[in-house]
Amino acid sequence: MDATTAAGLVGNIAVIGYGLAAVGPGIGVGLVVSKTIESIARQPELAGRLQVTMWLGIAFTEALALIGLATPFIFAA
Amino acid sequence: MSRASTSAAIFKTVIIQGILLSMAIAVVGGAAAFFAVGMSGLISAFIGAGLAVAFTTLTALAVWLGGKLPLGGFYGVVLGGWLLKVIVFITILAVLNHTDGLSRPTIFFTIVASVLGGLAIDAVAVLRSRVPVVEG
Repeated sequence: MDATTAAGLVGNIAVIGYGLAAVGPGIGVGLVVSKTIESIARQPELAGRLQVTMWLGIAFTEALALIGLATPFIFAA
Repeated sequence: MSRASTSAAIFKTVIIQGILLSMAIAVVGGAAAFFAVGMSGLISAFIGAGLAVAFTTLTALAVWLGGKLPLGGFYGVVLGGWLLKVIVFITILAVLNHTDGLSRPTIFFTIVASVLGGLAIDAVAVLRSRVPVVEG
């Protein structure tokens, strides 16, 4: 009896993997954007600079999402 | 690299350099994969690098174009575009995952290489930039 049978799981366990890969970037992008909105509300004159910095934060965070999406190419059974 | 003086110049620099880097990764990775696994490796390297550059470039484009809109429109374009992009990429990768004749590890490693290289370009461009506090 393998581990998935013991746990009573049916279906593709890779779906759980994608769910976990989505949690981190979801929280990360949410934090980046919420802090940027807060900062622009405090200092609207800095909006241009803050948006560029926000984009850098999103770029780093979404890299995790893209790598997570691509993992079935090497981890699939 | 010239120092970008506006946010538009940063995005232009990042997009152009990102495309050049992905082309280089596609050629180098494609050559390596061609000798390792044959023609399927070459095609896979171009698909992987193309997907990665599209994914990262669309974010820069969304922030750049969204920056011309009011604040609500900006977040609508950036976050809505991000969501749409992820859904489209899940679909593309799901189709590719069931396509025969592709080298799957090659796709994965070219995507990872392009994404990491793109991040390096993004970070350098932002750190070297001098965006004025108030843009006209």
